[in-house]
Amino acid sequence: MTEHEPAAGRPAPAPHHVGLADPQSAINFQEPFASPPSEPVPDFALDRPRDPEWYRRAVFYEVLVRGFQDANGDGTGDLRGLTSRLDYLQWLGIDCIWLLPIYDSPLRDGGYDISDYMRILGDYGNIADFVELVEEAHKRGIRVIADLVMNHTSDQHPWFQASRSDPDGPFGDFYVWSDDPDKYAEARIIFVDTETSNWTFDPVRGQYYWHRFFSHQPDLNFENPRVQDAMIEVLRFWLDLGIDGFRLDAVPYLYEREGTNCENLKETHEYLKRIRAEVDKLYPDRVLLAEANQWPADVVQYFGDPETGGNECHMSFHFPLMPRIFMAVRREQRYPISEILAQTPKIPAGCQWGIFLRNHDELTLEMVTDDERDYMYAEYAKDPRMKANIGIRRRLAPLLDNDRNQLELFTALLLSLPGSPVMYYGDEIGMGDNIWLGDRDGVRTPMQWTPDRNGGFSSCDPQRLYLPPIMDPIYGYQSLNVEAQQRSPGSLLHWTRRMIEIRKRHPVFGLGAYEELTSSNPSVLAFVREYADPEGHDATDRILCVNNLSRFPQPVELDLRRFIGVTPVECMGGVTFPPVGELPYLLTLPGHGFYWFQLPPAREEHDR
Amino acid sequence: MAFEDALAAWLVRQRWFAGKGRGLRDLAIVADTEIIGGDPGLRHLIVTVSHGTTVDYYQVLAGLRGSLPDQLRHARIGAADDGRQAYDALHDSDLTKPLLAGIAADSAVGSLQMRRVPGARFETGLDSLVISSEQSNTSLVYGEESILKVFRRLSPGPNPDLEVTAALSRLGSPHVAEPLGWIETRLEGVSTSLAILSRYLRLASDGWSLAATSVRDLYAMEGMEGGAAAGVRAADAGGDFAGEARRLGIATAEVHADLAAAFGADELGPDAVGELTEQMFRKLDLARAAVPEIGRYAEMIGDAYSSLAKLRGPFPVQRVHGDYHLGQVLRTQTGWVVLDFEGEPATPLAQRRGRSSPLRDVAGMLRSFDYAARHQLIGRPDQAVLSGVARDWVRRNAGAFCAGYAEAGGLDPDANGVLLRALQLDKAVYEVLYEARHRPSWLPIPLDSLAEF
Repeated sequence: MTEHEPAAGRPAPAPHHVGLADPQSAINFQEPFASPPSEPVPDFALDRPRDPEWYRRAVFYEVLVRGFQDANGDGTGDLRGLTSRLDYLQWLGIDCIWLLPIYDSPLRDGGYDISDYMRILGDYGNIADFVELVEEAHKRGIRVIADLVMNHTSDQHPWFQASRSDPDGPFGDFYVWSDDPDKYAEARIIFVDTETSNWTFDPVRGQYYWHRFFSHQPDLNFENPRVQDAMIEVLRFWLDLGIDGFRLDAVPYLYEREGTNCENLKETHEYLKRIRAEVDKLYPDRVLLAEANQWPADVVQYFGDPETGGNECHMSFHFPLMPRIFMAVRREQRYPISEILAQTPKIPAGCQWGIFLRNHDELTLEMVTDDERDYMYAEYAKDPRMKANIGIRRRLAPLLDNDRNQLELFTALLLSLPGSPVMYYGDEIGMGDNIWLGDRDGVRTPMQWTPDRNGGFSSCDPQRLYLPPIMDPIYGYQSLNVEAQQRSPGSLLHWTRRMIEIRKRHPVFGLGAYEELTSSNPSVLAFVREYADPEGHDATDRILCVNNLSRFPQPVELDLRRFIGVTPVECMGGVTFPPVGELPYLLTLPGHGFYWFQLPPAREEHDR
Repeated sequence: MAFEDALAAWLVRQRWFAGKGRGLRDLAIVADTEIIGGDPGLRHLIVTVSHGTTVDYYQVLAGLRGSLPDQLRHARIGAADDGRQAYDALHDSDLTKPLLAGIAADSAVGSLQMRRVPGARFETGLDSLVISSEQSNTSLVYGEESILKVFRRLSPGPNPDLEVTAALSRLGSPHVAEPLGWIETRLEGVSTSLAILSRYLRLASDGWSLAATSVRDLYAMEGMEGGAAAGVRAADAGGDFAGEARRLGIATAEVHADLAAAFGADELGPDAVGELTEQMFRKLDLARAAVPEIGRYAEMIGDAYSSLAKLRGPFPVQRVHGDYHLGQVLRTQTGWVVLDFEGEPATPLAQRRGRSSPLRDVAGMLRSFDYAARHQLIGRPDQAVLSGVARDWVRRNAGAFCAGYAEAGGLDPDANGVLLRALQLDKAVYEVLYEARHRPSWLPIPLDSLAEF
């Protein structure tokens, strides 16, 4: 293993024999940055840091433990079940699993109401199961991160119980208490449908407590140094167990200040810097992914100081990009995407956006709309279908009318736009949803593995399942499942795997600059991803991506004069296209078609 | 064969040559300036061509090479008098680079003045590429930084586009491309623009293509989802354009406000209104003589003009765009930009620089929406079914454009319906004449819309 140890910060050179056993990988064109697939994640050692920027090249996969695989037959997915499916995720090419909350919880908010930070939810298993998951994942080159909510706990958490019953005890100041429910009046109420105030009266303590989300989720008091220390202790507990990082839920709300909207406060950033310093010191290759559902210009603050390459979170989700991808395809023109990427500020060198098409808990438009700068809401408000698409939780395939061409186009955009892609479990096989279940549960049905009972998810009595699997004639597990698609070379699953493989051969997708190209056709989005190895090695990787956002075939003329003499090589099949000359480069694309071209260095005259 | 003969033969084949269909007589080179000696060399020529009583000026940048490389063969003019090959130098980066450098350095060659806009900064030494050839000019892009619009047919006098974009740019307008420089000479004793260099708007596409995208999507939806029976509406189509139309209306109002600030505003009194309607009637008579089909709408059109005449004004007037349509606006990543403030090419310069109602531009854009919706119907078997959908698209987008225009402080189109209607009809009459002359297959577009006025 040590021979293949990547040098710090840089992928190891490609062993050229790798992949040839797989007929689909037999096409072997220039791969200057190829990294070995599924190198085991080495054990951690302080004096030998692993690749600290792995997250900039990684393909993430969001897993609902409850819905992935049930190992003990109780109808609910668990950690051991997930461990048993790691081979599948390795085969698919996933680099990092993101787990939704796994902690002990009364589950009044999908586990985001944590009642014990250091216990695994009984339904999912125990700490030993978690350690085994991490070890088995690392053996397969897969990292594991998990959701963590720092802002608040469940009202069932012992800290809160102690705080309400013993105001003068050690936990008395762990939460934000007040006699005055009019404090911090400028903070908006986020869950306007269920909450009327950010304060709720507690009859036990006889005071109001502060909560930015549900009233059963009291906010922790980060003014209290003991809370700050307690949370760092929580982080260290999991980091010591081998976790590769956290997706930090609701980070903008940690602190409160009178006269502000109590979001994005300086103190919140200072605390994040403290966490980052701790992680950098002791766990230098772990990742902090911020969930700040805000405009990109505001989100960049969560990366911290650009001078240092970023000293808060390593990653943050790019929320507005997703609805704009849908809008661009619906409008058949590129401006919704061009515009948001043009408005996206540069991020510090060591940072990365997380981008996604779908996830477990869709954003609402209100949360990304800034009425001064954004036209999105006006655009959507006029189009009932767009509104429904974004507002109601749906999976990708039903959103796109199960249209294979669109599924491929969207996936290609996800894998090629700047950022690390985050896929949602089941979307790789085009799973459907169940709109008759409650709004969030509709997209949280069991993963469909086989045509057998319960889709292979669990051996339990079907009536015991946490949610019924999808059974309709189009998306039902009898016809749509991993096993069937693994056997069918033309399936969406094989196609997706192939695309992930191409992406991983070209770290430029994760590391490279993004430049949109002028194209003569507004329905075509063309861009170049370009990366020059900072350590020289005389290697530049460049990929040209051309996407037809229209359902009709389109011609496009691209100004590629920068690449005169280059012979584009199509990435799926390795077919060489005509060399780039002085004149505009003409391409024709089928409806919703796309191309990825590698642009190798121009050949010298004498080679021709 | 003398060089003039080769030049004449080449000229008549060019898209921007105005004398199509007429014989070319008496080509004469009236100015000949050597910009670059040696091989390749560059000569700047101004030639006159007479058709009967009119004389047109053309500008030719002739490249000269002992032997012509393959990639320049398509631009060949013919043998020059010195035996070398002459060709259209706009296609040769080796020869266009010195023009850019000349503008940057404010240089002069013979009677040619190259000028940089004070304070403008741009890169030189970039290769150029011809990107478009319009009816009267050819544009080349240097790198992705600047664009040089070279006028092929010259009208003596300053170019209104340069004058306007420079003024609006000074006012900080986000809706024009920043002018960087120009080339001029003297023609008939007046200083005359030969070429204009502006900032190139990368990633932009023109309003016509964007609107066409929307219309195409709507018509396909009509076909796919059960057609008119299902009640397809423009508002429901994925490619809805109304958001863009509204933003375009806002941009138009802002451009008008800046034009008034830069060039002043005035009011049109009763006499001028009378004169305006007289002109409209005269154009209508011309059209009736040329295109008898317009006759059946003449009464309706005449009534609209008479209603305008009765209003007698006063109407606010100011400098306007003058030839405003979807092809003159570009959508960039940040919004709409307006191009080509030259006015209607067929109109005399003094008139193009004069004042007019800003609603003339609004009328032009509304007519352009009509064209955008209808031109895709030509030759379709389901034209009759779709024409209702087309009307809906036009109504929706025209409404959104006018709302945006009024919202941003433009003269409210709704409150000035009589004037706007007359201006739209006047434009449609012009279109009938134009299409009948140049593009008969599109003649049904303005005629059909007249039927619905």
